[in-house]
Amino acid sequence: MSARDWAGRLHLPTLAVLVVVLVGWTLLSRRYGAYVLPAPGSIVTGFAEIVRSGEIWTHAVASLSRIAVGFGLAIVLSLLMGLGAFASRTARGIVTDLLAILNSTSVFVWIVVSLIWFGLSNWAPIFTTFMITLPVVASNLVEGVAAVDRRLLEMGDVYRLSEYEKFTSIVIPSTLPYLVAGMKVGFGLALKVSVVAEIFGVTSGIGYVMNYSREILATQMVFVWALVMILIMVATDKLLFDTLNRRLARWR
Amino acid sequence: MALKLEVRGIGKDFLIPVVGSVSFGVEPGEFVCLLGPNGCGKTTLLRIVGGIEPASRGQVLLDGQPVIADRRHQRHVGVVFQEDRLLPWLSLRDNVALVLKPLGLDAPARHARAAQYLRLAGLQGFEDYYPGRVSGGMRQRAAIARALAIEPDLLLMDEPFGALDAQNRRIMQQEVRRIWAETRRTILFVTHSIEEAVAIGTTLIMLSARPSRIRELIRNDGSQERGKLVDDLNTMIMEEVQRQQATDLPPQGARS
Repeated sequence: MSARDWAGRLHLPTLAVLVVVLVGWTLLSRRYGAYVLPAPGSIVTGFAEIVRSGEIWTHAVASLSRIAVGFGLAIVLSLLMGLGAFASRTARGIVTDLLAILNSTSVFVWIVVSLIWFGLSNWAPIFTTFMITLPVVASNLVEGVAAVDRRLLEMGDVYRLSEYEKFTSIVIPSTLPYLVAGMKVGFGLALKVSVVAEIFGVTSGIGYVMNYSREILATQMVFVWALVMILIMVATDKLLFDTLNRRLARWR
Repeated sequence: MALKLEVRGIGKDFLIPVVGSVSFGVEPGEFVCLLGPNGCGKTTLLRIVGGIEPASRGQVLLDGQPVIADRRHQRHVGVVFQEDRLLPWLSLRDNVALVLKPLGLDAPARHARAAQYLRLAGLQGFEDYYPGRVSGGMRQRAAIARALAIEPDLLLMDEPFGALDAQNRRIMQQEVRRIWAETRRTILFVTHSIEEAVAIGTTLIMLSARPSRIRELIRNDGSQERGKLVDDLNTMIMEEVQRQQATDLPPQGARS
């Protein structure tokens, strides 16, 4: 591989900016002290510490399993809504309107409501994640269903394809890219939102441990857990969604 | 000989009558080209014959059976649309094999027949390609292979080469003529190109301006010199276009 390729891979200009930011960060941290802005070095040490103690897995798994349940339920319900939108125009209208309402509801509403309904339990972050990701995934899916090429369905009718064959060979393949796009955005949102909900009432998870670190004045750990979140985000994007998109695009 | 296709007084209204009343019969193995001015309902007529769209009046008989526009039909009619209408996520082979499922063939038989008709359409060696990876002409060949693979009683083609460049168009016209000669299918072919119709059809039907009826039915069996036939048809189509404009536009005095 040539030098130019490596430069491209490493995003050299980005790296240069990063170096400048790190230098500025270090200077600012000296000026204002570790409580306000911990030095970059202390974050690296902190990260190594939670990896060695295994704490990173405990809290990451706690957060991710709540996301899995809430986001998973949102996907299941989205699929049902997509199916309904495909089956009837009236259902599509209802679903679109409901999603518009859900879409304009603040995260905080769901957090407060779920605390009232479920108390201090796992179900608060799960429910919040569910309510926030549902409109994102479902509206993408409904849009995908609406975008199915009617001319292809007409072709299916001419050649006497059964409803099942039309659904599996025409509707599903043309809707899948919309579902994956919705899931990609939805997952990012799930991670951001569930962590906020974890501040209240649970004793594990990234959101809990961040808030706990703040209370015990361990500011560097707040940054460490933020880094963990970023890593999870980047990893799922690169490993899961990019792979899915590549598979979906193989005929393009 | 019993008629393969009988069109009896077919008409269609879209707010205004578009197809007035059209009747004709087609014998097995005929290659009929439908011509006419733009907007006279050529495509609509073809869609009615294929049972894709219901008629406002009249009846279509295929092998003596009435054609009813219903999704759950039992007809074997192959249609080549203006666009290829291939599924982009399936290889050319799978695109053809898909429409063989309702015929009750098992997977090996479907693949064998798909390969056979792709070869007939000149696509040997491209079976595993996705539609997006081949040219527009090849996609239209695949659509023709798909229509032929169900071994249709009737093959309908709706300006199938409209999107192709002049060179490809000529090649595809020869190909369709060859395929017709090899398979002896009954074909109804809509085109706006008189040269195309004269080059490939055995029977030419010229429709009139809206509301359309049959202006002229010509046997293109070589007894008429082609150049003259093209000229005559061009004259006819211009007359119809003028008639259309005369009815479409308000009278001169009414315009301010």
